Amino acid sequence: MTASHRRKVLLAPVTVTPAKPLTPSHLKGLLWTDVMFRATARLADVTYRYSHTAYHLTEQTLGFWEYLDRTRGDVDYSGMSEEDIGELYVRFRAEGGTPTAAALRPYAESAEAGWVHPASERVLRRWLDHYADLGLHEPGLLAHQPPELGLEEMVAALVERGLGLDQRDVGGPVFLDATRFGLPLRQIVSPDGRPNYLACALRDLLPLATRHDEVVLLYDSDLDPDYQLLQRVLADDGTVVHRVPLGRVPIDGKITSARHGGWHDHTVGTILRSIRDTHEPRARRLGLRLYFIAVLGPGRQESWRHDLLHRCLDRAERLLARTTAGHRDAPDEPAPDLAGELARHRRDHTHVDPYRLTSSLLGRRAPAGELLTEVFL
Amino acid sequence: MTLTPELLRSVAAARLRDTHPELSAHVDSSTPQALRELVPRGETVVVTVIGRFSLPDWVRETCRFALSVPVERRAPWRRSFTRTVHLSGRPDNLRGRFAFDHVAADGSAAWLGPAPDAGTATLRRLLKTFRGGRELGAWSPVTVEVPGDAARPPVHRDLYVATANVTVARTLVQVNHLLVESVMDGLIGPGDRLTLRAVPRLTGLAAPLAALRVDADTHRPHELQAYAALTEEA
Repeated sequence: MTASHRRKVLLAPVTVTPAKPLTPSHLKGLLWTDVMFRATARLADVTYRYSHTAYHLTEQTLGFWEYLDRTRGDVDYSGMSEEDIGELYVRFRAEGGTPTAAALRPYAESAEAGWVHPASERVLRRWLDHYADLGLHEPGLLAHQPPELGLEEMVAALVERGLGLDQRDVGGPVFLDATRFGLPLRQIVSPDGRPNYLACALRDLLPLATRHDEVVLLYDSDLDPDYQLLQRVLADDGTVVHRVPLGRVPIDGKITSARHGGWHDHTVGTILRSIRDTHEPRARRLGLRLYFIAVLGPGRQESWRHDLLHRCLDRAERLLARTTAGHRDAPDEPAPDLAGELARHRRDHTHVDPYRLTSSLLGRRAPAGELLTEVFL
Repeated sequence: MTLTPELLRSVAAARLRDTHPELSAHVDSSTPQALRELVPRGETVVVTVIGRFSLPDWVRETCRFALSVPVERRAPWRRSFTRTVHLSGRPDNLRGRFAFDHVAADGSAAWLGPAPDAGTATLRRLLKTFRGGRELGAWSPVTVEVPGDAARPPVHRDLYVATANVTVARTLVQVNHLLVESVMDGLIGPGDRLTLRAVPRLTGLAAPLAALRVDADTHRPHELQAYAALTEEA
């Protein structure tokens, strides 16, 4: 496959608000995206777009920053844990109250220019540690990655294409308008100018999507109505857009949002600490991927189970031992071509399906070492 | 005619009596609340879809729409107090799915109905209530001509609109009732000209009036306020 024939794929997972510890639901999304990215990168030119800069401008992030400064003052966040900062976020959400656009303006202006509040910077630095531990591709958590389109340019582009309705001149909001496809009108900018995360996504993805052959949106399945809208808009100029909704991971049968807290024994930090002494790093990376991708699957039926995770870690250890020892399913045959192997796990699209690929490991005695190192470790 | 609380109450009571004569005996116009409690909820509605808003264009198109409503569909709408739901939307995106009864010449707005509530449910689910939260502000008097072939000698009237503490969305509601009911009463017809005049409040308006729109006061919700007035021939 020559470079000129390689298709251009844009992977655009929903970002996690850097205001709280990562939970199993977040980890699931990160691992799915990572396997999809690393596998597809062998077959196509892949852009993994994960710009916190683009989403800092949502009310939940700017509002949290404004709340911290208003209620805490000048404090040192550098020694705080994700959990400490998460507790403050839970308090912010519980106390409610919608900050005015005027109160958020200094934060919005600085965030556009690349500034990040020290509380979120602290959280992102902790996440970088987890990314390194987990062997995740680091898409630039702390990098300044401004969206190409300004808010006004994005709104004008939508209106021009018949996909936007701007009523700010009469004190109304800006809507994303896909009603011609039978999808309901959706507000994306409040009458006083505050964008929601869909507006942020459009600023970031509208120009990027046109430069790719295929776009893959990975997101929490609770956001499905919004992502159906996003798919319609990004596909409007002919780009192929796939949605990959992922169900959250229930804890004891319950699905909760991190904004409500209650994550205590189930943060990614806690999980990683709990397996640090029992399994070596490669087994941890592979075992977590087996559990969060192949065992939990895309749905949300299976609750978090520590015992199943441990079984996956043991399974990973055995797979790695056999691979390292050079065993193969059919030792006399030549090593299969990695690209061909990965290509089997696509369907009618360019990107590799992480569920099919990861599940295929469970049916084998010893997968190819190259597959593991390139995609899973 | 000078506006007084008594006059406003009698206008509101007359509208109630004219719309539902069977309630005549019960109409107590001593307080605005007593009047409001009597208003029956109608089941016929008109849904308007607003894309871009400009008052003169919207006034002209509202009159055109009201004139286009067949006589047999006017009565149930009138008995529902010309109930109208204003939604945000782009008519050009909806025309493939909905058979509007009227679309503005420039595509800025569209009308569906009068129809039973259930007949508009799909459109209402797809769109959102129009939220023009800004005040209109004053404008220089502007005259619009109601399109169509005149059936009687055309008339020129002034349309006064209160602007202080009244949002665009509320102006739409108030002026809409005044216009469509005036069309039904024959006060506005094809070829007529209306000069739109902004005043902070209609208080002190001296011109002889053909129609007056009253509703709850924006500052004192238990009292009535005049929102729009149509004068006798200017």
